[in-house]
Amino acid sequence: MAKHSTIKRSVDMQIIADWVEPGARVLDLGCGRGVLLDYLVQTKDVHAVGVDLDFDKISACVRRGLTAYQGDMMALMRALPENHFDRVICSRTLEELPDPGAIIEQALRIGKTITVGFVNHGYWKNRAAAFFLGRKPRNAVYTTAWFESRPTNPASIADFEDFCALRKLKIARRAHLGGDWKTTSSLLPNLLAGYALYDLTR
Amino acid sequence: MNDADDDLNVPIRSEPGEVGLVEPRDFVTTEPFVFDNGQSIPGFTLRYETYGRLNAAHDNAILICHALSGDHHCAGIHSLNDRKSGWWNNLIGPNKAVDTNKFFVLCCNVIGGCQGSSGPSSIDPRTGKAYGITFPAVTIRDMVRTQKLWLDSLGVQSLYAVIGGSMGGMQVLQWAIEYPSFVKRALAMATTAREGAQAIAFNEVGRQAILQDPEWNHGDYPKSGGPRVGLAIARMMAHITYLSDASMDRKFGRKAVRPKSPSSAPDPQVSGLKPPVSDSMEGIDPVAPAATFDVRFEVESYLRYQGQSFINRFDANSYLYITRALDQFDLAATHGTLEQAFAEVQAATLVVGFTSDWLFPPDQNRAIALALLRAGKRVSYAELATDLGHDSFLLESPQLYELVRGFLN
Repeated sequence: MAKHSTIKRSVDMQIIADWVEPGARVLDLGCGRGVLLDYLVQTKDVHAVGVDLDFDKISACVRRGLTAYQGDMMALMRALPENHFDRVICSRTLEELPDPGAIIEQALRIGKTITVGFVNHGYWKNRAAAFFLGRKPRNAVYTTAWFESRPTNPASIADFEDFCALRKLKIARRAHLGGDWKTTSSLLPNLLAGYALYDLTR
Repeated sequence: MNDADDDLNVPIRSEPGEVGLVEPRDFVTTEPFVFDNGQSIPGFTLRYETYGRLNAAHDNAILICHALSGDHHCAGIHSLNDRKSGWWNNLIGPNKAVDTNKFFVLCCNVIGGCQGSSGPSSIDPRTGKAYGITFPAVTIRDMVRTQKLWLDSLGVQSLYAVIGGSMGGMQVLQWAIEYPSFVKRALAMATTAREGAQAIAFNEVGRQAILQDPEWNHGDYPKSGGPRVGLAIARMMAHITYLSDASMDRKFGRKAVRPKSPSSAPDPQVSGLKPPVSDSMEGIDPVAPAATFDVRFEVESYLRYQGQSFINRFDANSYLYITRALDQFDLAATHGTLEQAFAEVQAATLVVGFTSDWLFPPDQNRAIALALLRAGKRVSYAELATDLGHDSFLLESPQLYELVRGFLN
């Protein structure tokens, strides 16, 4: 399982790395132990800052030589000036955030671009889990049962694109990964894509 | 990005060892030193200790900066009979978080102090008498500038890191600002970039306790005498600010001091806060007329002990000078804004706050990190959940050790 998920994680990381400009100033919201930022530093020489709530995760980032801030991502963003970053990344974190719209808005104030990555809850297996099995969807990112999970706020690709239209956010780039998260998928993404990545600008 | 696993392998480490026997040394200069306030002294001494060895490239030096009542003895022991090791012995030593097998670790008593460095209790060579309050007012920047002269004399060409908590953290920030290319890493814990009103207020009560003691005599007192009552009260009060409600309640609760045999008379010196012959608060008669206000609770006995042991090792004038240096510390006011203060900083910085620290609360530590971020600097902020109050930075915490080790390696 662990090995399998490592393979899966690398594809969305590669796509994000493709989108990131070399030497960019990057903030990762919910940076965890700094795996993505470490990858971006090594492949794109970015100036990386992470933010997370957990001491041990910040400690792991520091051990990697990354800079990371322990605290609330919204409070951090509010304390920073406009355009402080070239890019804000919010990957595998979005659905755990309260008020994700406000987070995206703040991210687009302090950053020129926000990269958003999330599990597509419109993916047919996720629909089937709910429809046929009557179960909370579980996948490589959200592996836990409901009773051991943080509160989640699931969205589908259709939901997300509606949101972008409503807020008049420009979708500069999008990538939809298939159910195995290894290949890109362009056909009927809301039904067939397991994971979605977007680059949004103001 | 959320990531469940950590793909870094944690190397197998050797067991932590001890620095062992150490000897303090003195840096003595006869070059006049001009303080921030323009006054000068004709040379000065800094007492210091070092652990580990300076490497051939002279780039493995780590400076430790001490807090208000600390000194240069931060690791090891001075004699085999010592009951206590240096004040940060849990952090510093072979294979410890600050690894003396790798690093050349230095610590000196600050200028204005009283543990061997020049301060108000030192002899003014111009008069042959103790400086007393003719010693120039000291700032955190004066502490740092004198330390730089000392490090230059040892051939240290850059600092791999500067580490300190509380007032030590202020020195860390000042180091990164004052000597940007000299300092590669800065680690400041439980500190502030601007002493707030509450902290100034506590310092002022401490100073008043000293100044109102008739024995203070405008700072002119013999080395063995002076305002011992005032200094002890200052220490008792300050010590409370280093702890927390939770930690004091856990340690003492409402535990009462056990009365000793009724035959022993109450020691009149104890209630007057004069130094008792013994450190113990036993021997108090609970039914004696003054007993109502004698030591009843363990926490009282503990604080009196803290006060009494402090007066045997600390000089009251130094206490006045150093608390003043703390109160004067305001990087934002000195440089316009905190971001401007940090404009030239080159060091990778780590700021650590502690949730239960109410003297320099997490917010004040976070403000340092945010200002460094806004100034475009490399800075991390971590906040350790502890219930030990301000003194948490001295805590034996594997989590803190891992963080420090990770930052240094």
